[in-house]
Amino acid sequence: MPPWIQVFALELAVTATALVVLVCDALRPCRARTLAWFSVAALATALCTSFVVEPAGTAPHGVYAAGPWSLFFERLFLAAGILGVLGSLDWLESRVARRPAEYLFLMLMSLVGAMLLAGARDWVLLVVAFELMGIPLYVLAAYAKLDGPPGEPQLAAEAALKLYVTGAASTALTLFGLALVIGAGGSSSLAGLASPDVAPLASAGMLLVLAGFGFKLGAVPFHMWVPDTYQGAPTPFVAFLSVAPKAGGLVALVVVLLHGWPRHHELWAPALGVIAAASMVVGNLFALPQRDARRLLGYSGVAQMGYVLVAVCARSESGVAMALFFLVSYVFTNFGVFLVLHAAAENSGGHALDQITGLSRRSPWLGAALLLFVLSLAGIPFAVGFWAKLFVLLAAFEAGLVGLVVTGVVLSVVALFYYLSVARSTFMADGRSAEPVRAGLALRAAISLCLAAVLGLGLWPGPLLAQARLAAAAFGGGP
Amino acid sequence: MTTPALLAVIAVCAPAAAALLLVLAPALRRQGAPAAVACIAASLASLGAALALALGRSPGEPAVRHVVPWLQAGSRTIAEVGVHVDGISAAMLVVVTLVALCVQVFSVAYMRGEARRGFGRYFAYHALFLFSMNLLVVAPNLLQLFVGWELVGLASYLLIGFYFAKPSAARAAVKAFWMTKLADMGILVGLVVLFVSTGSFEWTATPEPAVATAVTLLLFLGVMGKSAQFPLHVWLPDAMEGPTPVSALLHAATMVAAGVFLVVRAHPLFELAPTTGDVMLWVGAVTAAFAAGLALVQTDIKKVLAYSTCSQLGYMVAALGAGSAFAGFFHLGTHACFKALLFLAAGSVIHAVHSNELAEMGGLRRRMPLTAVAFGIGVLSLAGVPGLAGFFSKDLILTELEGRAGWVPWALLLLTAFATAFYMGRVFVLAFLGAPSARAGHAHEAGLAMTGPLIVLAVPSAVAGFFGGGLAAYVGASYEPHFGLTPLLASTLALAGIVAAVLVYGRGREVAFADALRRLDRAGAVDRAWKLLYSSALLWLSGVLGWFDRYVIDGLMNATGFATLEAGSAVRVVQTGRVRDYALAVVAGAILLSLWGVLS
Repeated sequence: MPPWIQVFALELAVTATALVVLVCDALRPCRARTLAWFSVAALATALCTSFVVEPAGTAPHGVYAAGPWSLFFERLFLAAGILGVLGSLDWLESRVARRPAEYLFLMLMSLVGAMLLAGARDWVLLVVAFELMGIPLYVLAAYAKLDGPPGEPQLAAEAALKLYVTGAASTALTLFGLALVIGAGGSSSLAGLASPDVAPLASAGMLLVLAGFGFKLGAVPFHMWVPDTYQGAPTPFVAFLSVAPKAGGLVALVVVLLHGWPRHHELWAPALGVIAAASMVVGNLFALPQRDARRLLGYSGVAQMGYVLVAVCARSESGVAMALFFLVSYVFTNFGVFLVLHAAAENSGGHALDQITGLSRRSPWLGAALLLFVLSLAGIPFAVGFWAKLFVLLAAFEAGLVGLVVTGVVLSVVALFYYLSVARSTFMADGRSAEPVRAGLALRAAISLCLAAVLGLGLWPGPLLAQARLAAAAFGGGP
Repeated sequence: MTTPALLAVIAVCAPAAAALLLVLAPALRRQGAPAAVACIAASLASLGAALALALGRSPGEPAVRHVVPWLQAGSRTIAEVGVHVDGISAAMLVVVTLVALCVQVFSVAYMRGEARRGFGRYFAYHALFLFSMNLLVVAPNLLQLFVGWELVGLASYLLIGFYFAKPSAARAAVKAFWMTKLADMGILVGLVVLFVSTGSFEWTATPEPAVATAVTLLLFLGVMGKSAQFPLHVWLPDAMEGPTPVSALLHAATMVAAGVFLVVRAHPLFELAPTTGDVMLWVGAVTAAFAAGLALVQTDIKKVLAYSTCSQLGYMVAALGAGSAFAGFFHLGTHACFKALLFLAAGSVIHAVHSNELAEMGGLRRRMPLTAVAFGIGVLSLAGVPGLAGFFSKDLILTELEGRAGWVPWALLLLTAFATAFYMGRVFVLAFLGAPSARAGHAHEAGLAMTGPLIVLAVPSAVAGFFGGGLAAYVGASYEPHFGLTPLLASTLALAGIVAAVLVYGRGREVAFADALRRLDRAGAVDRAWKLLYSSALLWLSGVLGWFDRYVIDGLMNATGFATLEAGSAVRVVQTGRVRDYALAVVAGAILLSLWGVLS
């Protein structure tokens, strides 16, 4: 085995886990519970090991660089994977008990793709990793194709199809754009486009690539799949979908723009600024009138991505660090919200905002958790979202992006409306059913992990900020 | 850690421990009574620490700081967390913990009718509030102050919405939270600007004059929200949906005064920005007069007190605008005592007659003599009758305003002084004098848990004014009560206001201009403007964007990509409705972007 293989240690570990899950189940059908807890244990072991032995180095031909930067994302994705598996467990057992292994396998493989993105320094690896992350998601979205909301079971199939068609279209765009870019640069290396002056065709190619990544991020105007897919697909999967691929899209975008094309910022920076502003405006304003909790969160997620992009627009090391901080905050908070919604919906059978009415009566614990997550999204202190918002604004103001700062602040006031309406409905007393909500052990564990992260990082944001800065410094930040 | 720092940490952490205990031990919380015991014990510890801290300091002693790094960038410390003890924070700590303890003891009796779970939850919120408020008071920098500031806002949201089953209470809670958060965005941006231009969150930072003006104006936006200044005051009257002791503590004595405290704290920064001072002067004066006008015609006893709070906060803000931080701080302290007293006395009345309406009261002086005396002391102090606490602090403010901005704010506030005496006289006459109504006939004084706090608060409400000089020396300012024209005018107006109220309402009459004011009140112009902003501006914009998105962008995309998609008929086989539109969105977005690339 060549010595450089250790730079992929974590990805290999997850791939091995995925294969073990698949093969074990093929040899002798296993219970979902066994497979899921095994996966969680494996991912947790990998996560813990990554703090002891840090993989570092480069793969041959410089296609992959491991270091604090890639490690930051690998850890984040491992954590997201743990939450994703834990969150899906009860649902897998009760709804699709016959084929849990495939579900876990696909989720883990998608995770491997996401983990590879941060370190990729070559277009071929980057695109393959991107597709490895994306393709399993299409299958997962359709996994329980008849398990949409009551009365509208076909929604799940529709959601999957929408994700697939738009995803395929955006991949096509990315590849077409890449053909132009690589053709102009003559190298498949990410930094192959050396000269700051590029042919118009190549610059068109760069913007096509940007569009392709914009789709995964769910940034405006590539956001249209987000609310529909969130509404129709199985909620535990949506929880995963709302964070992992988005983080993946963001890391790919950062790597490509700030590592690959830092000298071409005059071309992409204005476009990115417009996309960021449009995402904040459209996401927040469209979320206002929503009556379905998942559609609402979909639009809110669009807006949140706008905030991350503001930090990326700063094109500075501190901007990248703040984007990373924001992303971590986003992952845990959004996961938490979706898992609580899932728990509530499993008992009441629907995701309209009315259905979470009175949640704090039916399960005080879930109600309090949802309140905390929503407060974090709204940016109240001692929840990590407060720091995330503050840091992004700091980075953007430092870079002189006053327009984006003002847009972000004004729209975060708009956002309070719908966040508070979610918070309020959990406290309202006239819930349709007064039955207590029961959540399984795995689901409770996942929600507790999110709670611990949101509160812990909110109380003491220092270590995470230090890690984010370390990663950003290792990445080298902007120009 | 030095002794003062340790005491300050105790004052902050005791309620935090109680809050944590009540959150982590639901069994204890649901019992009710143990939760109250835990919360009150923590407040007692907090008060003890605050008193020891305040009495242990001699005037003019330098500030004591104990901080640990909170956020670090490499070797540089961005922000610290810890305690900063000087005259201002020590005095404020005593006021906050004293009022909080009184209110919590009062609550034990007032909330007795609650279910046990609700009772426990109530005290858990109280512990959270006291922790947050103390965290704000001892903050060594503006960042920690802002964290405490947001947390008291959260506690306020939870406590206003305490009766969440009542839709009006839930609505009021959201409204209060939203309005104050809207204003808080000013502070957030102000902090960002301050940090980027000076590299710290300290209030001793010295940015350039232009930056200082921008920062202080942004901070003042937050102050307007929290301290209910016109036109952001609309949440405060609605916040009266919360239990009355909560109104006394949060929405009269302490939380709403946090805005004033922020300006006092960041005074070095505000001194660099005279423009902000002028803005504050006018906002404060207008708020004081406007709110006093509306207080004249309220029929709900708590609403009168709420508008009165807005009005008095206007006095403080005007004083700060005139550059006299001490006058504002002094009035903050005396107001905290007498307004908490008034609210608790009102709570005692509401508890006895089971109504907030003044019409349901009347003649209570015989049935509830102690409450009547306590309320009376509060009325006289608030009106500014010579000798009582309110007289000294209010007259200091009026004196400071002499000659400012062409005497207009001064005149407005003098007029307000008359109105204040008049509306408080009206409340006293309607509630305590005259013939008892049907409900008031059976009213009776509650136990010691309710009357005790009234007595404790009545003492400073009466005599605190005589300690003005001492307080000034303590916080490092100077104060000499002087008896010029302004105090003479003000006290004459105060007495005249009370006499006029007794003459009018004692005979069951109504003033001539009441109808006009009532119409103004019912119109709720400011409230409507806000509602309009939401329903017509925001929702309209959302609707327009939605329409634009659905028809214009989609149409554009259909036009540009029609031919392409027609060819791909495979997609059309799928009968899912608008899926192709989504694909088109991606295609068209990319086409637009690449056009940009080619053209630029």
